Amino acid sequence: MNEAIETRELIVLDGMGAIVPGTYHKTHKNIPDLQTHGVERDRVGVLFLNGLLATRASNGDAAVYWADSFAQHGYPSFRIDLPGYGDSEEDPPPEWLNFINQGGYASIVSAKIRELVARFNLSGVVMAGHCAGAVSAVYAAAAGRECQGLILMDPYFHFQQTNRSQIRKQLNLWALQSPLGRFLSTIYDLLKEIRLTFRRNVAPENANVPLLRCWKDLASTGLPILILKAPVRKTPGMKPRVGEFDYLSHALRLAGRRSRVVVKVTDGANHSFANHLGREAVRMHAQHWLDECFPLDTCNGSSVSSLRPTPIDSAHEYENREQRQKVTIPRGKVRINANDCSI
Amino acid sequence: METQSTMKATLQEHARYFTVPGAQLYTVLHQVSDPVARVLLVGPFASERHFSYHPWVRWARYLAARRIEVLRYDYRGIGESTGNFEDMSFDRWNEDVQLLSDWFIEQSPSVPLILHGLELGAILAAKSFQMGRGDALLLWSPPANANQALRSSLLRWARLEQIFESPENRKSASDYIRQLEQNSFIEVQGYQWSSRLWHDSFHCDLPGNMVDDAAANQAYRKPVKIVRFGKDATSVVMPYARYDEVKDISWLYSLSFDWVNGALEVSAGGRNERSD
Repeated sequence: MNEAIETRELIVLDGMGAIVPGTYHKTHKNIPDLQTHGVERDRVGVLFLNGLLATRASNGDAAVYWADSFAQHGYPSFRIDLPGYGDSEEDPPPEWLNFINQGGYASIVSAKIRELVARFNLSGVVMAGHCAGAVSAVYAAAAGRECQGLILMDPYFHFQQTNRSQIRKQLNLWALQSPLGRFLSTIYDLLKEIRLTFRRNVAPENANVPLLRCWKDLASTGLPILILKAPVRKTPGMKPRVGEFDYLSHALRLAGRRSRVVVKVTDGANHSFANHLGREAVRMHAQHWLDECFPLDTCNGSSVSSLRPTPIDSAHEYENREQRQKVTIPRGKVRINANDCSI
Repeated sequence: METQSTMKATLQEHARYFTVPGAQLYTVLHQVSDPVARVLLVGPFASERHFSYHPWVRWARYLAARRIEVLRYDYRGIGESTGNFEDMSFDRWNEDVQLLSDWFIEQSPSVPLILHGLELGAILAAKSFQMGRGDALLLWSPPANANQALRSSLLRWARLEQIFESPENRKSASDYIRQLEQNSFIEVQGYQWSSRLWHDSFHCDLPGNMVDDAAANQAYRKPVKIVRFGKDATSVVMPYARYDEVKDISWLYSLSFDWVNGALEVSAGGRNERSD
């Protein structure tokens, strides 16, 4: 029985009185060096924060796959079970989603990042959060200086309705399954769209104002942020479903002209990004983005960036819809092209 | 800052890798000083790991707090363990149970070992028990064969996909099954199921004499407890919630622990008889 194997090590972060178990994925390029020194100096590490109800492996073990890939590429990667998740000691807070949406994990994540940076001599950390994990990542990035960038997978900027009545659930199911239900659902969406237009696209009551404020403060500093968006039902691309407020565009407006936010729509991915297309798209987009924002110094393997980047004057880098290709990934080798993923 | 080996005394949970042929299994030992028994937890199929994790960990802690040492783990190719899921088979997962139970027994052979399986894990635990490993066997929601467990996961997955997919892309469970039968891969909860796995699942059965407690007790002359959660004895229903709630199943912990207590007495009696 061993705590470490050639490519991974089981770790425990115990600062701030909270025990957080995790897995450290060693960079493959440096394995002989690691055996000598036990550390990977001056590199940007990638820390994964999973969504609600998942373990640090994430749905379908997708986070294990990404962490292995990034480490193999030269970025030491870490996956942790925050209190309430996976192997952590605690039970989840009673109102778990509200706790997350109000930034409940910000201080602990920020403290754990400091521990990681000190322990592994990292120059900083890029946080990769999925869904609720993306919300925690935004709050945590704002709470400390060690976060150098964010990868946000299907982030949301509103308070979600957690207690739907049984009648509502049944109605939703009926609307999905029967042709009449689908027709009525479309009419309902159009009515909501009209209402939204009358409201002049003002953020609705369920907007997570503290999160949006936090996002604005963070993104406007020029922190590199990659948003990966899975397509949603009834609408392709980046736009939300008809009748729903476009939180993503709203967040990008709030981020301002000095922000460095890149949005990629991952065709074929489901919300968990755990399916084959989803996980490949995340790997390729994120790896390409890491290489651009945190290039590895090929001489000693360290990444160039060591401080949070200063704001730079650049417009949003939206994905060019015309350039976007349908990602169909066969069971073989995949390479990255400068603009998008291709086979 | 510390490693798993020096983890705070209150937790006493040690995560380690255990070497098996071609892979490293992720294991967590819930260590107890002077344990009265040991339990090896054999978990459900890949797609269910995500949902069962929390109640499974809590059950391990429940037992550890009552002086029962517990070892839980991830199968080869799943979760924190290494290996490629697509290359895995029921034989390899069976081997995982056997290697771990052998290791656990070696730690102190005088302490009784209980094998506890959930869903697919119930079949694998039962097979090892049939081969003579363990002093007692506890099964939660055992399917008749592995195919029943796979089918049950697939039905839930297809139902979920119906909600998220557009009408033209929707597939029913029978569409997926047809694909498997035509030697194609399908993807369920992020795991690639091969047609080989599907075909093999029909032959990975719960031992025939484990239809109920009485028959099993009589066949093996060791304590066996089978807990089914569905209304229908053949259904595979999990004792945990699916997506949106953390379910209180303390009744199940308490019921199972009472049985473990009783089983240990019976088992100790049996051993004394044999030594006499």
